Amino acid sequence: MIARRDVILGYVLLSLAALISLGPLLGVMILALGEPGRIGINLDIANATNFGNFADVWEKGDFGPAIRTSFIITSVVVVVSVILSVPAGYAIALMDFPGRSAIFALLILGILMPLESMIVPLFLDMRRFNLDNNYWSVILPQVGFSVAFGVFWMRAFFVQSARSLVEAAWIDGANSWQTLTRVLVPLARPQMLTLAVLFFVWNWNDFLLPLVMLSGSDLQTAPMALVTFEGARRTDFAYLGAASIITIIPVVIVFILLQRSFTRGILAGSIKE
Amino acid sequence: MSERVVFDGVSVTYPGMSAPALREVSLEVPEGELLVLVGPSGCGKSTFLRALAGLEGVSAGRILIGDRDVTRVPAKDRDVAMVFQNYALYPQMTVAQNMGFALKVAKVPKDEIKTRVGAAARLLDLEPYLDRKPGALSGGQRQRVAMGRAIVREPQAFLMDEPLSNLDAKLRVQTRAQIATLQRRLGTTMVYVTHDQVEAMTLGDRVAILKDGEIQQVDSPAAVYDRPVNAFVASFIGSPSMNLAEVDVVDAGVSLAGTTIPVDREVLAKVTSGRALLGVRPEDLDVVGSGVAITVELVEMLGADTYIYGRLSEGPLLVARVDPSIRPALGSVVHVMPSRTYLFAAEGDQSLLG
Ligand SMILES: Nc1ncnc2c1ncn2[C@@H]1O[C@H](COP(=O)(O)OP(=O)(O)O)[C@@H](O)[C@H]1O
Ligand SMILES: [Mg+2]
Repeated sequence: MIARRDVILGYVLLSLAALISLGPLLGVMILALGEPGRIGINLDIANATNFGNFADVWEKGDFGPAIRTSFIITSVVVVVSVILSVPAGYAIALMDFPGRSAIFALLILGILMPLESMIVPLFLDMRRFNLDNNYWSVILPQVGFSVAFGVFWMRAFFVQSARSLVEAAWIDGANSWQTLTRVLVPLARPQMLTLAVLFFVWNWNDFLLPLVMLSGSDLQTAPMALVTFEGARRTDFAYLGAASIITIIPVVIVFILLQRSFTRGILAGSIKE
Repeated sequence: MSERVVFDGVSVTYPGMSAPALREVSLEVPEGELLVLVGPSGCGKSTFLRALAGLEGVSAGRILIGDRDVTRVPAKDRDVAMVFQNYALYPQMTVAQNMGFALKVAKVPKDEIKTRVGAAARLLDLEPYLDRKPGALSGGQRQRVAMGRAIVREPQAFLMDEPLSNLDAKLRVQTRAQIATLQRRLGTTMVYVTHDQVEAMTLGDRVAILKDGEIQQVDSPAAVYDRPVNAFVASFIGSPSMNLAEVDVVDAGVSLAGTTIPVDREVLAKVTSGRALLGVRPEDLDVVGSGVAITVELVEMLGADTYIYGRLSEGPLLVARVDPSIRPALGSVVHVMPSRTYLFAAEGDQSLLG
């Protein structure tokens, strides 16, 4: 039985969290609907009626192709990274092979290394393989960064929650692959979906890498299109706001879509024993 | 096909541990036998099963199943079935899928899986639950599903790791009887692990007592009760535990709190240092007119029996199991005399009898 006081406290805390995260978003929304061309930040809600800003920005920023490019890159990165992270996390967590801890240490290093320290050599590598100014020049490094974290994440799940099930499956005669696909993957659905959401958000929002890799081509991602609205000296905040909203809407849609199966997964897991 | 299980000088040391969890264990479980491995928590029972199942590597010795040396064979190829303490049912699969998983992995035809799962479900009263997930079952039902998963496979041996410890007392007694019946009916070799000596005594064809990774004694339940090889086995088997007291050897017996308890001369001759450990089972301690005086501290009336806990003038608490018509008052002094005694070496605990 949850005490009434705890319920109230829960609501208060949740409302506070919602306010903190929704507040700025609301601000951006008001900004986006403001009068275009005006200098300075204008949060006057009465003037927030310029719905045409979105169409203007879409046109000017070339958002159609930018969102398409972002979508192609991010989808491939998410799918490939999840597919690689699950078996690798399983191997590191539950299989015995020489060099296991060394590989794990290497992966941790991949999480710790900031992109900025690697971007130049990465760019040179991509150029050497003639991959610069091409989807792959963004996809490959993003997969690399994502998998480093993904293996870490899946390993944590397999290590703590699956030991006895894995042993049961082995004793039942299942090989490693059968154990993974028939026992663990159905069980790890919520973890995999969370991972997919995280990968999507991170890689969609990634700016520096595509900027460097795609600078010599017509390709641009949504965040790159967004930045064109940030002037060097004068910024049109109404347009910038509208462009920001356009950039994050796909993330919100993906989140809502995935979240539905996601909560279902969590509930299914909660009655396990 | 049911097969024998042989441990030949098996040691298991966990990584980073100095002392081995199993120390040169040698043991043969003949084909079709139900052997109960019993011992206090942490003595290495699960390690024994895990080594047998292939979940833990051995640092020395050989393990045979039938005539096949499986010491280096991976778990999936050993063809043994294990029931885990927490059952380890696959949560996303139905009861039928749980029970059929091993067969499916072994590529047994669908029809045959269905028949065999159906037969096991009938045997275990699980037919109404075949389409449910484990999460929607009671503890007892889950336990039966875990059993079913083992039975369906018709393995060379069953391994049970404290399979009843998560059930309530009444269900435990029922299920214990079911397991014994089932094992006799299937005739499959079974190694059953428990810390509960009552389970060991009631279930086992033979009982192996384990302490600190070493086998102390392997014998029929009656034999480990009647002829324990050392004081540890003597006090572990039987409930309440055997009374043990350090005593001095005197002429024709030993002296317990000033009273001479007669002991055979041949037995006394084996005592080296003049001191020994006297053992008396509570059921062998009778209330008499004159004998060893104890001050009554607690009387437990169980209906069929009464346990009297009394303290010697100097020394330990003694327990006597007596007829319920005897009801001494707390604090009163009663006299007790053993009708049967055990004697163990003061050093090393070895039995000096037989
Ligand atoms: N994975 C492990 N790593 C290190 N020590 C372990 C491990 N598993 C068990 N042990 C130790 O080995 C001994 C035997 O354990 P176990 O076989 O589980 O005992 P039991 O099942 O009889 O309670 C204990 O001292 C325990 O702490
Ligand atoms: Mg154990």
